[in-house]
Amino acid sequence: MQPKNLTLSFIVSVLFVLITLFFTQPAISAAPDPTEQFRPFLKKMTETLADPGLKAIPKNEQSQRIIGIVREHFDFREMSKRVIGQQWRNLSEKEQGEFEQLFTQLLQYAYVEKIDEYSGQQVQFTQQRIKGERAEVQTLLVDKNKSIPVFYIMLLRGDQWMAYDVVVEGVSLVRNYMEQFSEILRKDGYSGLVKQIEQKIAELEKGIKKT
Amino acid sequence: MKLVECMRWKNFRLIPHRLLVGWAVMFLCWASFAQAADFLSDESYEDQAESLRVADPIEPFNRAVFTLNDKVYIWVLEPVATGYSKVLPADIRSCIGNFFYNLGEPVRSVNCLLQGRVRDSGLVLGRFVINSIGGVFGLADPASNEFKIAPIYANLGETLAVWGLGDGFYLVVPLIGSSTLRDFTGTVVDGMATATYSPWNDDVLTSATVQGTNTVNRTSLRLGDYEELKSLSFDPYVAFRNGYFQMRSKQRNHSQNQ
Repeated sequence: MQPKNLTLSFIVSVLFVLITLFFTQPAISAAPDPTEQFRPFLKKMTETLADPGLKAIPKNEQSQRIIGIVREHFDFREMSKRVIGQQWRNLSEKEQGEFEQLFTQLLQYAYVEKIDEYSGQQVQFTQQRIKGERAEVQTLLVDKNKSIPVFYIMLLRGDQWMAYDVVVEGVSLVRNYMEQFSEILRKDGYSGLVKQIEQKIAELEKGIKKT
Repeated sequence: MKLVECMRWKNFRLIPHRLLVGWAVMFLCWASFAQAADFLSDESYEDQAESLRVADPIEPFNRAVFTLNDKVYIWVLEPVATGYSKVLPADIRSCIGNFFYNLGEPVRSVNCLLQGRVRDSGLVLGRFVINSIGGVFGLADPASNEFKIAPIYANLGETLAVWGLGDGFYLVVPLIGSSTLRDFTGTVVDGMATATYSPWNDDVLTSATVQGTNTVNRTSLRLGDYEELKSLSFDPYVAFRNGYFQMRSKQRNHSQNQ
């Protein structure tokens, strides 16, 4: 009985492995290509920025329209989580939601000035790396006299690649804010951080109104 | 046999094999630690990045110099570079930038060699020859454009790092900016080495003028970047410190773009 049992269990386990392979294989190959998802997304972005109609509407609406497109492939919650770091778990759900909104608003105000600066720079895709559910899409922002390497770090959510970090010339936005925030969190706690971000947003808002 | 005797070069073969393997493993471990952050792994976010690993014990001094540099930039460098950029068109300015970069190639090549990057050393030397002749004294960069040899980064600070010397501490140098004790030492020595063969080492005034031109020219190609980064940050000092270490770790990661 013993040897037969052993062969049986061997066959069963081989079958099990085969079935698992069969079911997981299509899932892996069905994962969308990050570059192929970002190509139309960034194209839409540059086309919107190049649209002369965009500059005719008020600044606030401009940034609303842009952030609407950005949201399609950016995960601001993941970004907020990483920018706060380990303390994220200690925040209540309400605070997490509040912070996400605040941080998104900060980026929105920070980059609204960039809209005017856009003058037909093109995006070139150079490379991509995939590691499980993470991917890095490497691009070059090609300007007249220089080209700037911009990498998007992203996560697979369902069938969508969502970026949570932008690395410009080797400097990660998230890691840079993270170090600044960690000092503020240590000194003034979460409420102090919120206050400082609100201040910064007000400051940036004032700058926008002036121009 | 005593270990001390094994250490003598002629007795090299007598070193126990296990010890050699141990050293090799230690070296590999160290080499993997020295690698730049991988953005696809969470550790690169969790361990508070590279910048916290370099100590900043003289932060009050550094902050004072940072403020000084900030004033120099806003009141002197930025206005001068803005005026300069209006006089000279961007392509001429980028040629001048190429010229200064090309002058540094021999030193870069030597540093590659000292780091054991023999192939890079040859490529840098090749770039120097191609750009000095085909690019008319390095004003153009046919090595990148026609021969597809991208600029290769190397300096003495990195060489000393490869040899195992630590950063010491973070240092903001007047008029130069972010560095570390080790890297600034490297910058000074690299500068002296470049001066031995540069055409204007006769008197202080000339070389200062040349250095000034180089700085103004470089600034004129990146106008607005500094102000923008500053306006987006909560603590510019920390933001620039972090940016410096991130950028450096990318420059010193030679595995990726090859």
